[in-house]
Amino acid sequence: MKQRDDWHLTDVLEYEHGRGDPFAAAVRATRMPMVITDPGQEDNPIVFCNVAFQELTGYSRAEIVGRNCRFLQGPETDPAGVAQVREAIATGSDIGIDLLNYRKDGTTFWNALYMSPVRDKAGKIQFFFASQMDVSDRVAAQSALNDQKEIVEREVVRRTADLRAALDAKDILLHEVDHRVKNNLTMIGSLLRLQVRTIDDPSVALKLDSMLERVDALAVVHRQLYQSSDIGRFDIGSFSENLVSDVVGSSGRSDITVDVEAQPLFVDAANASALGLIINEILTNAVKHAFDDGRSGRLSLMVSGGEDHGIIRICDDGPGMPSTKRSKSIGTALIARLAKQARAEATWHDNQPGTCVTITFPREDTRT
Amino acid sequence: MTRVMEVLIVEDEMLLAMDIEAMVEDSGHHVLAEAASLQEVKDLPEDLNPQLAFVDIHLANNSNGFDVSLYIQTHWPNAIIVFVTANVSKIPADFLGAHGVIAKPFSHAGLVNAVNYIASGMFDSPPNVPRPASLITSPRLDQRWTERAS
Repeated sequence: MKQRDDWHLTDVLEYEHGRGDPFAAAVRATRMPMVITDPGQEDNPIVFCNVAFQELTGYSRAEIVGRNCRFLQGPETDPAGVAQVREAIATGSDIGIDLLNYRKDGTTFWNALYMSPVRDKAGKIQFFFASQMDVSDRVAAQSALNDQKEIVEREVVRRTADLRAALDAKDILLHEVDHRVKNNLTMIGSLLRLQVRTIDDPSVALKLDSMLERVDALAVVHRQLYQSSDIGRFDIGSFSENLVSDVVGSSGRSDITVDVEAQPLFVDAANASALGLIINEILTNAVKHAFDDGRSGRLSLMVSGGEDHGIIRICDDGPGMPSTKRSKSIGTALIARLAKQARAEATWHDNQPGTCVTITFPREDTRT
Repeated sequence: MTRVMEVLIVEDEMLLAMDIEAMVEDSGHHVLAEAASLQEVKDLPEDLNPQLAFVDIHLANNSNGFDVSLYIQTHWPNAIIVFVTANVSKIPADFLGAHGVIAKPFSHAGLVNAVNYIASGMFDSPPNVPRPASLITSPRLDQRWTERAS
């Protein structure tokens, strides 16, 4: 009981500043509000409070000592927080918690309460020591921050919904436009095919057939583009492979052997139509001129790619075509102009026998 | 033995129906009938017995090619069904019992080669020409070739 009596000595120290127990003197003089309660007495009353505590709460020493700490609570104090304090006292453990407390004049402050038991040598709890701190500013700042965060989050949710709606609308529009392009391309092909059937003049029919082949080639380009997962890139390698089998297949020429050595080769989708038409011109030219009069032969397609460019080479083993005749056809003009558009280069050389056309073009940058 | 296939065309776009009919006939086959909707297919005589049906997915009067395909399977179970559509991605992985699909816009070569391939499978079984890239097939078609061959 001696230690307990020591605590009571602080009452005496009030009149003797700076003397006696230096720890008690420190507690008395600090700017940190502090109280000590005695759980050994009925209702665990406050047995000591320092001046800082009196200043914080607005109560005098006489009004404080002998009362339970709950006199600081009020209607807005969180009951769950109070229950935690009660639980800590019952189990004799430490607790740190922010509680809304009331001053004598009824104003409130946020109290950062820290409370811990003081035990004797036997481990029995003698007192509870509690320090308080007015953290109203911190709580207000935190609460303002939370409000701000909530406003920002609400705004983010709202804008995300707006963006998603805009994206959905764009998707629907894109789908609709894509559908119309497909339908129109299909109908243009059908119209041309139906017209070709009515033409008796073979030279006119031949020209219309060429037109039809070009529309078909564009249709194949478009079909491959919309079926691809990446609409920005176009695999000219598999396109060429499909087109060569289409062109030779539709000619009904089972006597033309096709050699294909192709690999996937991606180019910018913006150049897909131009390159597709170039390859169509070369292939249809080869089938019509290199293997005319029912001459059988071999058509080869080679697709390869380097770091920054692609190469497509189409060779036949026909008689070869004099360059003067070549320059007169619309096909050659198409190839030259479209090559310029796609930044490609088309060169002809003698295949001995036959002709080889090599198209060199820039690749899209796949290293990104 | 005749090598002429009896073909049914289900397409609501008349221009395309005419075009497909012309290509089928030019390839030496016979177009039995054309229909633009599910109801028009149901109105066809029961004893029609088509061997090949080209079926668009989007049809007149809010009907669709999937229902037409199911109707054909129950009424003319021997018919090979090939969808012709711009919406290939809408077709389920099992093709709902159909045999293949040709994507629109189709080319003359693409459609004619598909017709030739199916005719070859039907009369030679298995087909002696390679499958054209224009025709995407379901496993059911290969199954059909092997069943016929055995």
